[in-house]
Amino acid sequence: MKKKSILFVVPAILIYTVLLIMPIIGAFFLSLTDWNGISQQFHFVGLKNYASMLTDTRLFGAIGNTVKITLCVGIAVNVGGLAVAFLLNKRGKLTNVVRSVFFLPYVLSTVAISFVWMSILSYTGILNTVLEWVGLSGLVSDFIGNAKNSIRSICVVEIWRTIGFYMVIYLAYLQTVPEELYEACMIDGGNSRQQFRYITLPMIVPGITICTIMSIMTEMRQYDIVKVITNGGPGYSTETITYNIVTQAFGNNMLGYSSAIAVFLFVFIAGISVLQLKASNKIGG
Amino acid sequence: MHSVVNTKTRIQQWAARLLIGMLAVLTAVPLYLAFVNAFKSTADITKSPLSIPIPPTFDNITKVLNSPNVHLGTMYFNSICIAFFGTAICLAVSALAGYYLSRVKNKISKSLYVYFLFGLMVPYVIVYVPLVTMFKGSGFLGTLPGLILVFVSGSISFSVFMFEGYVRTIPVELEEAAILDGAGQFEIFAKVVLPLIKPCTTTVAIFIGLSMWNDFLTPLLIGQKVTITVGIYTAIGPYASDWGSVFAYVLFATVPIVVIYLLAQEQFISGLTVGAVKG
Repeated sequence: MKKKSILFVVPAILIYTVLLIMPIIGAFFLSLTDWNGISQQFHFVGLKNYASMLTDTRLFGAIGNTVKITLCVGIAVNVGGLAVAFLLNKRGKLTNVVRSVFFLPYVLSTVAISFVWMSILSYTGILNTVLEWVGLSGLVSDFIGNAKNSIRSICVVEIWRTIGFYMVIYLAYLQTVPEELYEACMIDGGNSRQQFRYITLPMIVPGITICTIMSIMTEMRQYDIVKVITNGGPGYSTETITYNIVTQAFGNNMLGYSSAIAVFLFVFIAGISVLQLKASNKIGG
Repeated sequence: MHSVVNTKTRIQQWAARLLIGMLAVLTAVPLYLAFVNAFKSTADITKSPLSIPIPPTFDNITKVLNSPNVHLGTMYFNSICIAFFGTAICLAVSALAGYYLSRVKNKISKSLYVYFLFGLMVPYVIVYVPLVTMFKGSGFLGTLPGLILVFVSGSISFSVFMFEGYVRTIPVELEEAAILDGAGQFEIFAKVVLPLIKPCTTTVAIFIGLSMWNDFLTPLLIGQKVTITVGIYTAIGPYASDWGSVFAYVLFATVPIVVIYLLAQEQFISGLTVGAVKG
């Protein structure tokens, strides 16, 4: 075949390098300085920013919250998404309608739906009104203003938003499992639990891997819901890592320090992706 | 004995259906609330949030439309420009690159592929400060084309990855035949390859178009362009209380997407999953 012109890749390389790769290199550079974004001068401080991270309790809180949200949402959307997909897999007339309903929140603007949830969860909001009506006033609570509740509220919103997406992916994987395998299992006297354990699960391992990776990647970067619903509060109690980076950079003008945290997040996420790639190669091969 | 088993599985089936139905209703409730309450006064919202607004009031909608600080036209213009041109440019450069990387196998193309994939691991928040700093004097980021190119740069990794994988599943024979007919390589790409990769193009377009339309942080921090997402945030602010207007804003931000979604559900759902299942 005739040689292809390198011109095919040049536009993509140019845009990608100038606007994504160079800024990333810039972040590594900035993370070694004390620049505040306003003054003309800045100094190289070596690894001082990274050292400061070790005593930053506010950052620890943000890391803890991110891990909490990632674990909670990651487990819920994968277990729940797979369960709903499994139930929906037996095709009925309404399956497509139901699938569309579950999927709808995922395509909407996260900021917009967060405002809707705020109207539901705030102290004078819809949920508390309804709880009063049905006589469950014991359950009335401040779902946003109270530190313990607010992180749970964020998880609920995020689960609601993304579970349909994972459900649809699991559904697509479930439909790749050949019907004959289930029939063979039934003839051998296997019940539905055994069918799930010995046929469905092993056949959809690649789907589980992909959904797990995607949910971890998404939640490690959580920002929009926190920004709208709690604004990081009360106090710093619902800050995530991304939220922390943005406020340190654009609120407190600590550009050097915020870059160091961003580099840390980057290395962490890259590490997870490499580990997961290796793990899935092992399972796949 | 047989009938007992049958009744048991029937009950199980109905229980499953009931459960699914309840979950679907629960999922739909927030969306229902957003919709009906946009047509009620704030007093009615607090009093009876679940009721259907009869007769509906359009006060919230007109209030938002007439608000002196909110220019819905500008917001829509910015959002549509970003989603449309951002998607178009990204599709063009990524399809070309993905095609090349898939058909040419040498050391350079392999390293380029890894170079592009690298972007998939990047938490995008790392880019904001350096990007603003690098282009501070130039005024480039304050313009709509600048912001559009920033969006493109963030979506290239994913798109190249998708196109590279899809082109690999297409046989080269058609392209070889076109070469024998004397077609140039860009002509072959436009006339032979592009029609064949259409399903992949649709998938990528939906995925990145949605992410560009819905993105909040990028237009807020880069270029300070008021898109519909940034617009509703700044209009409502973090301490909302006028719920009627809030729901009206939410309506304006989501209705275009809901309409497109309802018209093209199948493409949305199969489009968003085809890549994941194949990959």
